[in-house]
Amino acid sequence: MAEKKEITRKLEEIHEKIRAEIPWEPVGPTPMPEIPDLRQWDMRLLKTYAPFYAPFCDLCCFCTYGKCDLTETRRGACGIDIATQQARFVLLACLMGCSAHTAHAGHILEFLIERYGPDKKIDLGGSINIEAPHIRTVVGLKPETLGDLVIAIEYVFKEITHLLDSTAMGQEGSCLDYESKALHAGMLDHVGMEVADIAQIVGFNYPTSVADTPLIDLGWAAVDKSKPVILFVGHNPATSTVVIDYLRENNLYDQVEVCGVCCTALETSRYSAKAKVVGPFSRQLFFIRSGIADVIMTDEQCIRTDMPVEASKAGSALIATLDKAMYGLEDATEMDTEEIVKQMVEDKKHFAILDPRKAAEVAAKVAMEIAPQRRKEWLSEGEAKELASKCNVCGMCEQVCPNLFNIGAGIAEVAKGKFDLLREQFNLCVGCGKCEAECPRKIPIFKIMQVAASKESWKVRAGRGSIMDTEIRTVGAPITLGTIPGVVAIVGCSNFPDIRDIAEMVDEFAKRKYIVVVSGCSAMVAGMWKDADGKTVYEKYPPAFDMGGVVNVGSCVANAHITGAAIKIANIFAALPLRGNYEVMADYVLNRVGAVGVAWGAYSQKAASIATGCNRLGIPVILGPHSSKYRRLYLSRKEEDDWRVMDARKKEIVDTGEPSPEHLAYVCETKEKAMVMIPKLCIRKNDTPQGRAIKLNHYISLHKKYMGGGLPEDIYLFVRRDPDIPLVYKKEVRAYLQEIGWKPKEPVGLPTLIGTYPSKVPVDAVIH
Amino acid sequence: MSAVIPYHRVNVLTGIKSARLIEDAQEYASLVQKARRPLLVLGPLLLKWSLDGKLLIEYALEIAKAANIPTCATAHVRAKMAELGVKPDSFYDVVEIINALKDPNWRGVKKEGNHDLVLFFGIRSDLGEQGLSVLKHFAPHLKTMTLCKFYYPHANYSLPNFRKDEQWKAFLESLIDNLKKGV
Repeated sequence: MAEKKEITRKLEEIHEKIRAEIPWEPVGPTPMPEIPDLRQWDMRLLKTYAPFYAPFCDLCCFCTYGKCDLTETRRGACGIDIATQQARFVLLACLMGCSAHTAHAGHILEFLIERYGPDKKIDLGGSINIEAPHIRTVVGLKPETLGDLVIAIEYVFKEITHLLDSTAMGQEGSCLDYESKALHAGMLDHVGMEVADIAQIVGFNYPTSVADTPLIDLGWAAVDKSKPVILFVGHNPATSTVVIDYLRENNLYDQVEVCGVCCTALETSRYSAKAKVVGPFSRQLFFIRSGIADVIMTDEQCIRTDMPVEASKAGSALIATLDKAMYGLEDATEMDTEEIVKQMVEDKKHFAILDPRKAAEVAAKVAMEIAPQRRKEWLSEGEAKELASKCNVCGMCEQVCPNLFNIGAGIAEVAKGKFDLLREQFNLCVGCGKCEAECPRKIPIFKIMQVAASKESWKVRAGRGSIMDTEIRTVGAPITLGTIPGVVAIVGCSNFPDIRDIAEMVDEFAKRKYIVVVSGCSAMVAGMWKDADGKTVYEKYPPAFDMGGVVNVGSCVANAHITGAAIKIANIFAALPLRGNYEVMADYVLNRVGAVGVAWGAYSQKAASIATGCNRLGIPVILGPHSSKYRRLYLSRKEEDDWRVMDARKKEIVDTGEPSPEHLAYVCETKEKAMVMIPKLCIRKNDTPQGRAIKLNHYISLHKKYMGGGLPEDIYLFVRRDPDIPLVYKKEVRAYLQEIGWKPKEPVGLPTLIGTYPSKVPVDAVIH
Repeated sequence: MSAVIPYHRVNVLTGIKSARLIEDAQEYASLVQKARRPLLVLGPLLLKWSLDGKLLIEYALEIAKAANIPTCATAHVRAKMAELGVKPDSFYDVVEIINALKDPNWRGVKKEGNHDLVLFFGIRSDLGEQGLSVLKHFAPHLKTMTLCKFYYPHANYSLPNFRKDEQWKAFLESLIDNLKKGV
């Protein structure tokens, strides 16, 4: 009785926060869900897509009972086993990622509310009515002002605390429950990201309700080093936008070059199309060591932790602008501006300045003073040859390389005056600098790399934020019917096995009329390639969210718009209510929206969290080989797992035997394999025969292209009836199916997992 | 005995259970031949690496043939095998074959039962080491063995870090000879 009273009180509180009385949609079963509320959905997913654990370590060292040996059937002193320990790590990683985005959102909101007040209206333009699909779905709130976003962010903060609590010693004891919590964290992350980007769009007046955003200069060679150069590193545009304001107000913007590495670069270019994007995280150290930046301004996330050391080595001035990374620097926020400038110029001191306006003024003044005194020339081939001549090919650099290649061989070639190998290797370099740190002869490998780095500049389309409702209306039907073969989201960080893979993937799938969406470092790297006509993928393909389009949504936090588009398809096209209705949205996406994420260079905890959020929403993610180090994947066993669904129209459970999508989190070792997995993971049970034939056409043709001819052996699992077979391969596929004794099966009218597991959601809720 | 440090530092063992290092090709051959249902997993580096101009995939196929070991082609290895006129016994990507292997009730690539010894060859070392960790922790029903020139702590049996390719080449050739002889 007391428990029931408590539940009622909680629900009343939630309804008050989300203004349930405003009937834009009925409130669904899970507004502001807590840990147990979507657990049954998670368990259903985990039944088919079981966690696959690859422990990094045999031990647990989290508490003073340890270290505890967890090999074989051993448990730790607290009782934990090796699988549960991995799941705990995964949850922690997701929480780090979710916290990074959510804290970013919180900071931006605070900054903008201070500037505009909490009543500043959210208006994303005439083509976007569903402004916040995640907030509407998860929180149950239709945010109208910046102040409303605070309600969403406070909910996320509260849930993060509960989740983090569960990782303490002597708490959760089931790997599956930890996975459910990780999925919860991933879902929250998309809310946090959405808050951040909506606030930024509204507060900084970023482009919105427009596809054709400006083309931005991309690459280190795009930076005019004859001018004073201010470089932003990180993710948070609060300071970079103020710097641009300061330069504009003081008529200095033509005299000072503003550029960025990583997501702040993308954010800044949404604010000013004149700002240059240097490149992804993997080019951060390379660019800093080039010495081109006079002033480096860091904010948060994906910034090197040795930045003061590196800035000093390069002779650059450093200003840390956010409390998340202060590097032990003196906090000069309250210090006199002229005194800070004097100390930075004369004593070469670095400072933390947490007041954006003051940081902007200092940055501009310091840059203009020190730039004329600094040498900013790329190394010549002759100089590189001389520096490389010290290499005795000891191999130490190769041993510490996270991408496992032998940079020493490239350096030895440079010593002979040959640069081709190093040019090739520059594409493999993830930019950590461990090779140089390990070199017993102190060879400046990164400096030598300057002769290998292309001096070409490219274009990247400025991030455009949300996918427009008008676009969803156009593509909703063809995506769910399968006649647009899929949405491929190529996202995430730059721990690539080869940087060239990204543009190749974008080109391959845009050419095949998939909708290709990009964000973050991958969005930059996609632009760092030109075709025979000298065009980047942004110039070659239209920017529309439509077949054959290449859409840059923006920085990491803009990833919420990609998953948000999937929700919008369910809400706008299928007219399913989304308010507090997560399970129905996720079920729709899993069974009917042929979307796949590709995080080919994922390195951060943020990427782990984003991907896990995609998984809870029913979107599979393909990861590059490094991502096996995340310790956990979600894999099915296609011929043995449970592929039953409910046919919602007939109210019958049907055993489809069709593994679609086959996996939820999957690692590929090579680009070639990824090229084949992408079309396969876009297959959905809802495909019409025409749509399925189009999808199988791509699956077969890419298989033939990259796997040496022949049909994929598992093609029989995806052919339901003869009309599913693509015309061009009809004869070959029919012969194969006959050979293996394939039998046709009826497509399911309205496939759903609802009804196949215990859930409060009735089957009728998925019928539109 | 002091711990062996893997060639690639990313694979340094944080734990207690590490591979037995074996340099003797005859001992390797003997372990392979004692296995009732071995499996050879072929990775894409076999298409890139060569010893004296001979691609590693050719060594791998000789090993498979010498001991009649079924093969599993991962990544895009099958494309090269098709060129060489050889059909692998199975096609799985590396995480898929490992996922299947950790199930003791899996019927194996020949549908005769799960494998008791799995040889890994040509997978990038960080991914390979993670995969071996999966089997070390969750597949007590089988043993793992590596044929690449680096030490893999998470395997049951591993080669050392060969300092020179000649040593590796000599090992592989001796292994093939011993397997052919049926040691």
